Amino acid sequence: MTTLSRGFLGITGSLCICACALLPVPSLAQSSSKTDQWIHVRVENKEDKGETVRVNVPIEMAVKVLPAINHDKLRDGKVHIDNAHLDDVDLRTLLDAVRTAKDGEYVTVQSNEDNVRVAKNGGYLYIHVTENKGAKHAKDSSDKQSKVEVKVPMKVVDALFSGGKDELDVVAALRALSGSGDMDLVTVKDDDSTVRVWIDSKNISD
Amino acid sequence: MLLLAKAALGIGATFALASLYIFHEGVIRVDVDEQRAGGTHVHVFVPATVVPIALRVAPRHHLEQAAAQVSPYLPVMREVAKELKRYPNAELVDVRDAHQHVHVSVRDSKIYVDVVDDSENIHVSVPVETISDVADRLESLAPGV
Repeated sequence: MTTLSRGFLGITGSLCICACALLPVPSLAQSSSKTDQWIHVRVENKEDKGETVRVNVPIEMAVKVLPAINHDKLRDGKVHIDNAHLDDVDLRTLLDAVRTAKDGEYVTVQSNEDNVRVAKNGGYLYIHVTENKGAKHAKDSSDKQSKVEVKVPMKVVDALFSGGKDELDVVAALRALSGSGDMDLVTVKDDDSTVRVWIDSKNISD
Repeated sequence: MLLLAKAALGIGATFALASLYIFHEGVIRVDVDEQRAGGTHVHVFVPATVVPIALRVAPRHHLEQAAAQVSPYLPVMREVAKELKRYPNAELVDVRDAHQHVHVSVRDSKIYVDVVDDSENIHVSVPVETISDVADRLESLAPGV
């Protein structure tokens, strides 16, 4: 009986050790994700029966995965822009002018239809556009308004245009973005929908 | 009597070890339930360890054919699987409207895809490691590699 008990204990002990060795250990891998920055996109559509889209992607993962996607204009993590779209505007010269200029408002357009404000302040580029839809369509008496607010660190803009002449380096921009703190990048609000793009260190959206 | 007990313990231990090995990578689960009368109900529960073995024993020409078809997506699949190992718990995509809810998440190193709508419910869960194994195997058989 004693021999049987010893044998049983021995086998049970061995099994426990094997179980510990073979079972996956998710907690080890989890620690690396705690300090990573995540990019979040949330789209809420008030029409279309209240559709909501939430996407959460670790920036580091996007940086690694994007170069593997070669589709249409996206190649090696860079988006190629048609020459035709840049013929009229020299984006690089424009960007260089903004980068070297002092903080301040560069563009302010105020009209009945649209208010546009482009400014640079504290290393960030701000673009605010307010569109009065009611004013645009005189027959439409409703006072519909849409607001677009974009806030991008200048270093991200620089990284975006750091590639070739006719391309946007998305991967470089994402790398630059991962070094920034928590912030709202894009907010769009109108009567039908709201869009928010932001980064933080949480792995779920609000 | 003692000999019998030893044999039983040996068999039991072997069985337990085999079970541990088979399930140590988790399980692949596929549930499809159509919400109409006479609709299809599919429930598959497969140990993930079976997949790499199946990829080894499956006829090579079938795998090469599959690899050729999915080859453009294999680098993405491999990178996603590799990166997802670093994020064992995450809500990746959530799309919801009045009729449909699509949810893609990673929990305990398994990727979950849940689609619930008026006509059918689909729940799929696959260990991230399995996706990585499949991508590696297919990539080794893809043309030009």
